[in-house]
Amino acid sequence: MTAESDRLLISQIRRGDANAWTTLIARYEGRLLAFVDRRLGDRAASEDVVQETFIGFLNSLPNYDDRRDLQTYLFTIASHKVTDYLRRVGRHPLQIGSDSVNELLDNQLDPKPAASSLARSRERLELEVEAVRRSLGPLIRTWQERGEFLRVKVLELLLVRGWSNREVADFLGIKDQQVANIRFAALKKLADTIREVGLPPDVFPELHAEDGPNPVDDT
Amino acid sequence: MKINRELLHAYLDDLLSETETARIERELRSSPALREQLRKLIGERERGDHSLGSIWRRHRLSCPTREQLGSYLLGALDEGWQDYVQFHLQTVACPYCLANLADLQTLQREAQPRVQARRRRFFESSAGYLKTIISTPK
Repeated sequence: MTAESDRLLISQIRRGDANAWTTLIARYEGRLLAFVDRRLGDRAASEDVVQETFIGFLNSLPNYDDRRDLQTYLFTIASHKVTDYLRRVGRHPLQIGSDSVNELLDNQLDPKPAASSLARSRERLELEVEAVRRSLGPLIRTWQERGEFLRVKVLELLLVRGWSNREVADFLGIKDQQVANIRFAALKKLADTIREVGLPPDVFPELHAEDGPNPVDDT
Repeated sequence: MKINRELLHAYLDDLLSETETARIERELRSSPALREQLRKLIGERERGDHSLGSIWRRHRLSCPTREQLGSYLLGALDEGWQDYVQFHLQTVACPYCLANLADLQTLQREAQPRVQARRRRFFESSAGYLKTIISTPK
């Protein structure tokens, strides 16, 4: 479904159009239900959470920016509702009860709340997110359009799955050096963007976490 | 594959499946080192730290479109894409794309009356909020 079609739907819903709201529900409820149920494994509870997601969406609609991808926005609300649900029933990682992970952590969490001077501001976080999206997003899409999927796989395993250079190389059956080069090229692009927008170079530790060979020019 | 920092981020974001979550919680019960790693990570997140991986996941930087997922189900993508989508679903285990795929598969087999009844329920429980939107200035 196109972003344009979603935008039209949103403008109709903003005018209180019940048919448009029915269409939006029909378009997104199935994937939201599958998303929530994968985590909860309880169909009835998952349907309740999706119901709360739609209500949450309508409540947040006055503040919704049409330029945002609707599907991603709905998934984000659903994620928050899943967390709320798990907290309510005592299953969330940070709030689990008696024989829980939280207890196992044995109240080892830092007793001092983060000092506000140390915590990043909302504006700063958004700037960081935007820098990552602006640099890595087009790079990944370009690689995909060119059919250079090996590069996408390498970067995705390194950054999204958190694997080491060696683990990635072994899994994909390529040399460590090739992994190091792909990592270097992508992270250099990101480091350049970070510098351009005036963020400190150490903002993401991953930019400096080289665990394999140094990159070499393989062009 | 061992439990690493990115997996713990996804765990704290409630983005893992029930099975993956259960594996991490089992490991947390038996490993003081992993509990310490989780404790540190929670502290970092409270200070506002976020990882490249969490931004990538949340903004779906590499996700195929829903249309591509539909073509994947039909085996209609070209070889490179077909292989990549399979990797994204099975190895990366992207929760959003797995949800879209499951939905597409369900649409092929779920009885329409049941789907309609569920959609009606979602509509009826939320339609009252539409009225508040009209009266809320943007």
